[in-house]
Amino acid sequence: MTPTERNLRNGRRLGASLAFPASIIVLMVMVVPIFMLFRYSFNHFDSSVMVEGFTFESYVKFFQDPYYRKVFLNTVGVAAVSTVLALVLGFPVAYFLAKSQSRYKSLFIILLVFPLMVGNVVRAAGWMVILGNAGFVNFVMQWLGVIDQPVRLLYTPLAVVVGTTAIVLPYLILTLQSVLEGIDFSVEEAAQNLGASFPTTFRRIVLPIAAPGVAAGTMLVFILSMNAYATPVLLGGSGITMMAPALYDQITKVSNWPFGSALALVLVTATLIMALLSSWLIHRRYVKTMAS
Amino acid sequence: MAKVSLDRLKKQFGASVAVSDFSLEIADGELVAFLGPSGCGKTTTLRMIAGFTEPTAGTIRIGEDDVTNVPVHKRNTGMVFQGYALFPHMTVGENVAFGLEMHKVPSAERDKRIGKVLDMVRMSELRDRYPRQLSGGQQQRVAIARALAIEPRVFLLDEPLSNLDAKLRSEVREEIRALQRRLGLTTIFVTHDQEEALAISDRMAIMHDGKVQQVGFPEVLYEKPANLFVANFLGKMNIFAGHVESPGRFVTENKLALAIEGSGAAATQVGVRPERIILSAEPLGPNAMPGVVDSSVYLGSLIDVRVRLDSGELIGCQLPNSAAAGARPAAPGTRVHACFRAGDCVLFSE
Repeated sequence: MTPTERNLRNGRRLGASLAFPASIIVLMVMVVPIFMLFRYSFNHFDSSVMVEGFTFESYVKFFQDPYYRKVFLNTVGVAAVSTVLALVLGFPVAYFLAKSQSRYKSLFIILLVFPLMVGNVVRAAGWMVILGNAGFVNFVMQWLGVIDQPVRLLYTPLAVVVGTTAIVLPYLILTLQSVLEGIDFSVEEAAQNLGASFPTTFRRIVLPIAAPGVAAGTMLVFILSMNAYATPVLLGGSGITMMAPALYDQITKVSNWPFGSALALVLVTATLIMALLSSWLIHRRYVKTMAS
Repeated sequence: MAKVSLDRLKKQFGASVAVSDFSLEIADGELVAFLGPSGCGKTTTLRMIAGFTEPTAGTIRIGEDDVTNVPVHKRNTGMVFQGYALFPHMTVGENVAFGLEMHKVPSAERDKRIGKVLDMVRMSELRDRYPRQLSGGQQQRVAIARALAIEPRVFLLDEPLSNLDAKLRSEVREEIRALQRRLGLTTIFVTHDQEEALAISDRMAIMHDGKVQQVGFPEVLYEKPANLFVANFLGKMNIFAGHVESPGRFVTENKLALAIEGSGAAATQVGVRPERIILSAEPLGPNAMPGVVDSSVYLGSLIDVRVRLDSGELIGCQLPNSAAAGARPAAPGTRVHACFRAGDCVLFSE
């Protein structure tokens, strides 16, 4: 073996050994609990305790109880609307950020990262102040004379959508921006030179080229929205229930581990399926030609 | 195709002036090269003509139309970008089709035209390939085909050869020129490569610091450069500083007397191209300056010789590596006379 080969082999070994600790941790905190939840979900719940067994009763309950069907649809609905809203609001920001030559660009990026340093609970509390009956929005609308009585904004699906969108927006913008940054924007000029207006250039050239990034960002944001906990609890209150709070309640309040586990698995599975589906749809629409 | 007229074009970015007072008439079917070092404003000018950059002042006419305020997508110029800017998610055929679609060419004719332009650049075989499956030279051809498919009024090329290797560069250069002649394309070709500009253009405009230094036929610019920048940018030139003592007689700072032609009482410098100097043991003609060969570099077809004149100047000479090799007094230390004709002296007054 030549020294070069030995060096290469040592490098590969070092890389593998460095990846090992993280892999073990991921295995322990991810795979093991999911496997245990999977097992629990087939156990029997005897009014207050979990009894070892193998039954589908938790799943049957989920699919038969209209309340939980509603919880599930609420979750999918809020996640879908928040994701689309975040895309519509975030794409232009990411696009202009990616193209910007401004010296304030890094300042903008820091401002975008800033909300990520504040916890979701704190940000939800902020929205409570804004959306409450005596909150900022109601105050302004009353002052303008648009309404006489405060309108109920807090503890509605709308509040949850607004809060969730605000939380996922920075993630989406940062993901999109890093992808858009890699695009050679002379293709835009080429398209315009060939007679395409700005909207056409955007639709036919920029969007398809950005599609892989859009797919990645959409997937990330959809997963975050589906699994949100603090935002639906604080902003949804009793007005709307979503999956993560529902399964938390099952496990902590009624100690119904089998049903809580079933809800968790439904949530994980549905999230994965829909995230992959949305990503696949974007890929099929735009990226099929880019694959090598 | 159409003629292009630029009238006192100016572009300012904040406080820095990128292009100033650029006026030029480009005839229908003419190829003009914008030549200059990077940052001289040549690309900015091209981008103003294409419409990507808005001029601060001045007007641009294509044919009889004032297009100064016409947006890019309505200008109908065909541009080839330095990095080609092919659409990565479209095949060669789709890339070419895009412009035709934008110009609302009916699909039957579109297909015919795609075939025609791809034939023109010999890329028909690769019509269904994606850009990433093509070599640099092939991508270049597609970029040209795409720009020409829309039958533009002006053909704009921004350093189109700079990403190709040397051999391919001269090949593609010949092809572009042949195509341009055959189709009678009014063409603007931006380059920083003087040889490229000399080889390809009908006329060239040499730019420096946002200003046009000289516009003219390649041979005129080379033989009679208007100033020292042009002289030194297009090849090399030996410069003697001094003054005109009497008509036809220039005296350098080192008291070297040169016979010159032409009037130019204000001339303060005289330039001679290295390849116009003959080295000979005996003095030949009126300008024969004694000196000693300082060094010589063998360049294959040429021999680059430096001669230290007895008056002190170090001058460069380029001798052809011709059959009469014995007549070459090129060995360092040899005493020679550097001789050149009065007509080969270029006068500068700056």
